[in-house]
Amino acid sequence: MTIDLKPAGDTAPRRGAVATAASIAERDATRAHYRSRRRTVAVVSALVLAATCVLMVFPFIWATLSSLKPTDVAFSNPPVFVFTPTFQPYVDLWQTTNFYLYLANTLIVAVISTLVALVVGLPCAYALSRYGGVASLVLLVLALVFRALPRFAVVLPMYEISKSLGIYDTTYALAAALIAINQPFTIWLLRNFFAEIPRELDEAAMVDGCTRFSVLRRIMIPLMGPGILTAGIFVFLFAFQEYLTAAVLTDVSAKTVPVFIATQIGQNLPLLQQASAATVLLTLPVVGIAFIAQKYLVAGLASGAVKG
Amino acid sequence: MRRREFWLLVTPSVIVMFGFMLVPLYRTVRWSFQQVEYGAPGTEVGLANFAAAMSDLRLGRAVLFTLGLTVVVTAFCLVFGYILATLINVLGRRWRPVVLGIMLIPYVLPHVVGAVAFSWLFDTNFGGIVNFLVNFVSGDALGEPLWFIEPWPNRLIVAANAIWFMLPFAMLMILAGLQGVSTETLEAAEIDGASPLQRHLHVIIPSIRGVLGFVLLIFTMDVLRIFDSLIALSPQAVALGNESIMLYIYNVAFREGAVNLGLGSAISVLTILLILVLLYPSIRALVKEAQAA
Amino acid sequence: MRVSRSSRILAVGLLTASLVGLTACGAGSRTGAETATKVACDFQNPPQATTINVLAYNSSAVDPYSNTMVSSCTHDNVTVKHDPIDFAGQVQKTTATLAGDTGTYDVIETYSFVVPDLAKRGKLLPLDDLFAKYKDTYKLDDIDENLRKAMSYEGKLYGLPMQTQVLTMVYRKDLFEKNNLTPPTTFDELRDVSKKLQDSGDMKYPLALPWSASSDISTAYKATLNSLGKNFVADDGTTPNFETPESTKALEEMKSLLPFMDPQATTFDQPKVQQQLYNGSAAIGIMFSGRMNDLVQQKNTKLYDKFAFAAPPAVEEGGKQYGALSVDGWSIPFNTKVDKDLLFQLLGSSVSEDASKASIPAAYPARKGLDQSASPYAAAAEAAIAGAPPAEAQPWVPPITSATTDIIGSVILGKQSVEEGTKAMQAAAEKVLAEQ
Repeated sequence: MTIDLKPAGDTAPRRGAVATAASIAERDATRAHYRSRRRTVAVVSALVLAATCVLMVFPFIWATLSSLKPTDVAFSNPPVFVFTPTFQPYVDLWQTTNFYLYLANTLIVAVISTLVALVVGLPCAYALSRYGGVASLVLLVLALVFRALPRFAVVLPMYEISKSLGIYDTTYALAAALIAINQPFTIWLLRNFFAEIPRELDEAAMVDGCTRFSVLRRIMIPLMGPGILTAGIFVFLFAFQEYLTAAVLTDVSAKTVPVFIATQIGQNLPLLQQASAATVLLTLPVVGIAFIAQKYLVAGLASGAVKG
Repeated sequence: MRRREFWLLVTPSVIVMFGFMLVPLYRTVRWSFQQVEYGAPGTEVGLANFAAAMSDLRLGRAVLFTLGLTVVVTAFCLVFGYILATLINVLGRRWRPVVLGIMLIPYVLPHVVGAVAFSWLFDTNFGGIVNFLVNFVSGDALGEPLWFIEPWPNRLIVAANAIWFMLPFAMLMILAGLQGVSTETLEAAEIDGASPLQRHLHVIIPSIRGVLGFVLLIFTMDVLRIFDSLIALSPQAVALGNESIMLYIYNVAFREGAVNLGLGSAISVLTILLILVLLYPSIRALVKEAQAA
Repeated sequence: MRVSRSSRILAVGLLTASLVGLTACGAGSRTGAETATKVACDFQNPPQATTINVLAYNSSAVDPYSNTMVSSCTHDNVTVKHDPIDFAGQVQKTTATLAGDTGTYDVIETYSFVVPDLAKRGKLLPLDDLFAKYKDTYKLDDIDENLRKAMSYEGKLYGLPMQTQVLTMVYRKDLFEKNNLTPPTTFDELRDVSKKLQDSGDMKYPLALPWSASSDISTAYKATLNSLGKNFVADDGTTPNFETPESTKALEEMKSLLPFMDPQATTFDQPKVQQQLYNGSAAIGIMFSGRMNDLVQQKNTKLYDKFAFAAPPAVEEGGKQYGALSVDGWSIPFNTKVDKDLLFQLLGSSVSEDASKASIPAAYPARKGLDQSASPYAAAAEAAIAGAPPAEAQPWVPPITSATTDIIGSVILGKQSVEEGTKAMQAAAEKVLAEQ
């Protein structure tokens, strides 16, 4: 940011100012140069961002277009760009399949796993943020390792266990599996949020006679509102995203939407078009949540960043 | 906090994590020493599964492919994510939420669904728009890349898809990290005459070292375990040498005729060891940091 | 764009309301029942509410039978459920559901290729007693005996046939007329016709075959091998035929067709071949007859009136066709907990006369004596059935297929020589036979 030595319009030389015509021109030229360079940078960066945004959202846009085209041109080659849109695939999907059931299953699993994950994870995260002993460190490291495990190592035995317990193909089994699989992430994220709240608050409260648990209940949790919401949103989204675990642990009763879509890959028209409609119907709520809860998602990732 | 309080608060989560995960993990390790199918007890075969796995060229190819993919995707996302984060950082209050919202879309989609939609873009049978645009722009000069049966074009679309759904995460993390860069240091550097590039290389990047390390860690963990997207994008994965480790486990343990849980479990165990080896530096850094605190 | 709390709540509220409203709009209301024929399905009402899960892939040929089962037999205490699933999914789920003591599905769609193997391993229930009991109710005697035999093993019936599927050829009659071509009857003629179509500039890759290297390519190899007169295993039941001159010739003949096919044909399953024909990217296709009726539907393609059908060509003059005859039917898995009598009623009603008639022309029913004149491809299918090589109905066929599919794929893709490939296939087949 340059500081104007003279008010605009006044070109009379000042006593003591080294303001020859040549140096004024030079300074103006430099300023203009920086301004145009800033403008070029701004234009280029806008282009880069716009191009990236378009590329990011393009596959989804194309799938949406395919779902709205009349069946005989939905997947035609070369692709058609002008057509009369129709909602028939959506109507067919909704009415001739059990899609509403799969959507309901996905929602139920998401809600259960979010609630239980938070209930179980909050105390643990709080403890991990306040206790400096070896056990705390060991738990955190183990949680990290668990997050890194290949799903198959965990899910294939879960299939067998759930069958022998008779809970195969239920939303509870799937929710339980997801709660366990997402615990490491949950406690890491919540711990980072807890760590931002100064310990002095706990200590002050306990001096006043609160037990540790009531500190957690009455002071920490209200303060942690945004953090809890963030963790909740992440776990909720994970339930929508999970394919492998759902594919192994569900069959007909508890099938979720990603599993359904995967079984339609080898279908022919018109069912394939219904699959693209299903894709759109799954993505819309998820994207909606992402947009609305954007602030929390970014904050959640940020907390991880700051505390590493 | 006292120890008793710690354990009381921590136990439910420990039971959930360890109970639900350690028990299956133990089962997998047991299976890796057996020849076994679902619904039938297995027969002990000692280290035969491990020997078979390690002498299988196909597994070697899968490991190479997965490691290569991890390196490429991570490098690209770190660099481009950094660039994007820097650009978004200067956006005003009006545009930032819009851009961030759009960028989140590939990240929140289930990978298998995103991959199916992605595959339609490259499949002429389904109106492959990418092929169409490439031909349109180049006037048929490049012919038609065979995205699904040639190894390198296929690797390109697999990598492109992985970058597509992982880039938002890198970008968001780095963006968050950039908020913590001290403006005083930056201004001092500017006054000292550092060019923008130098400012980035010598001031900003070192101060977000921790974030970059974290992103590197997550990327390594996640891309190494890539599976869902290959189902839709690489139906010929075996023939092309484009199997990922997880896809190999799936093929071996499920698809190919008899269910071979023992071999699949052995490969899972080997993968866990590989991941532990790759995680070791990060874990050590974590421990050191905790001890310093 | 800061979204205020109240507008966020409003958004959530609207979303929930619309979902509830949509549900009221008949979610799942037309399941199976849209074009399904309703027939009598008079079972004895089970004492408690029973859900019956049916496993069957979607195709316009199988759907009429699945839908009839769902719509006719869902009454009183019985609910019949059928989820959409593609063919690969059905194969996978079949293995999974038959693996343990309890399975998810109570009725599964099977076909003559897998019946001997599944029957031998005790995975399917023999249906003879139930067949005799309900013979008159559902007029089951009218189901072609040969087809019943194809779904039997060691004299016992393991699957109730609903339809035949035979490899049929479809071609663009407009392009054939334009170029003065006639449907080929040998592979030589096929190559000739394809070359002429290529040269005319009308079509870059005129031939569309489902040669998916993870599954269908094995069917193609078998069809070629059978056309040359050989089965997987010699009649003595112990020597595989993969190193015979016919086997080598089969692979070479397949490779000779590659210049006329899309280079990515090894990723094509039948739906993709259909898509190629819909898009006008191919002029000739050979698929199972159940996929033929889709091609003449106006809602699927603008070219719906330009297709004609014929029997597939033979590899060599005078030989059997590059063909395969498959019987699709219903079986009862050994591990179902539902009353077998009730389940057989589902099977019977699904293949009853009215339902079978209604499935024409999408399917070629297993019942004799039905009027096929509405079907555009019936004549071609009949010619195909007459000239198809006899099926190798043996339990070793599926395991040998699994063991050799990848090898066939790599030979066709050029990764292995024909010689190396046949040697590897022979070794794999010998291993399978040893374990039988």
